[in-house]
Amino acid sequence: MVRLADLPPDERAHLIAKNSEPLRPAAFVAARKPLSQRRVALVTTAGLHFRDEPSFDLMDASYRVIAGDLRGDELVMSHSSVNFDRGGFQEDLNVVFPIDRFRELVEEGVVGSLAGQHFSFMGSLVSPPMLEASARQVAAVLRKDGVDTVFLTPV
Amino acid sequence: MSAIAHFLESEGIQTTGISLVRENTEALQPPRFLWTSFPLGRPLGKPGDPPFQRRVILAALGLLERDSGPVLEDYPEDLPELAIEDAPACPMSFARPAGAQTGATPSWQNRLAAELALMRPWHALSVRRRGRTTVGIAKAPVDALIGRLAAALEAPLLEGTDLKALKYALEDLKAYYQEALTAQPGHHDFQETARVLWQETELGGAMLALHERFLGHEDRRFKAFARGIAPRSQTRGRGGD
Repeated sequence: MVRLADLPPDERAHLIAKNSEPLRPAAFVAARKPLSQRRVALVTTAGLHFRDEPSFDLMDASYRVIAGDLRGDELVMSHSSVNFDRGGFQEDLNVVFPIDRFRELVEEGVVGSLAGQHFSFMGSLVSPPMLEASARQVAAVLRKDGVDTVFLTPV
Repeated sequence: MSAIAHFLESEGIQTTGISLVRENTEALQPPRFLWTSFPLGRPLGKPGDPPFQRRVILAALGLLERDSGPVLEDYPEDLPELAIEDAPACPMSFARPAGAQTGATPSWQNRLAAELALMRPWHALSVRRRGRTTVGIAKAPVDALIGRLAAALEAPLLEGTDLKALKYALEDLKAYYQEALTAQPGHHDFQETARVLWQETELGGAMLALHERFLGHEDRRFKAFARGIAPRSQTRGRGGD
């Protein structure tokens, strides 16, 4: 479990070294809107992409588009870190990229709709400023698709 | 993750999601995250447990109702401890010869190829049971990937090594082995699977030998690459960072 106090000192030090200053100006959109009216996109930093796409580079701030009609067996992971478990992803895509859970929530009317496409980044060795251009591009695409809510998953 | 949340939110899109390292999220102060105590690599916690995953998702979506932020809330549910004796047994027994970690013998290719042959039926079972494989980032057959690893171990100099191609080969080989080792249905303990992979298999021995080779190189680029070969959990005490 990732309670830092429970980790070996070197692991703890490595993770704490990733702390950085708060991003400014602070961004917070306060919008009370029922889930059933929201259009949701998934964004992950797990380094997922379709099998026939270029794998992520060792240090890579680009993103891959994950078409909304994806099948689970089409995705692979080329995240460059070796310090997390990939067994959960190998067993069940949803433990990293919960597309089936969101499809169920939409089908039941709990969530309004899902985006036409989702997005994947590779969250290793990239600092916040390196990600800004890609993230703003993604935001522009999401807005065009009518997406108002993003659900984020790291690894 | 936190940075992407920040940039999306600053473009007017509300974000919520899972944090796995509370301290990192606390430092960057992104708009909303739900911290979970799950292992790195498993933001939704439990593979193959839709109700568990759904509870986590709904808790994170619930944060969208807050009027002000940043919001960083702790998810109350931990993963149940898994009794190792209840997990399916490792399908193979490995007898890594003494000295295999030194990389001194020239037979990595043969040893790795022989072991790969043992893995094949289990990997086939994995594909049948899971309906998919996550092997494929190197875009080459696994036999060729074995060759790439053996070549990196046995080449007199590392200077000609295509690091990116080698990295993809290692990741695909690990995925192939992990899928084979956990092909049987049931809950596998991921730390035990990692222990078997790294400490008992020829592949693990080869990758640890490669890690040492890169770490001992005088060129900082190669030294840094060692970190992408083997995890800290398996190189502790060997000079890895």
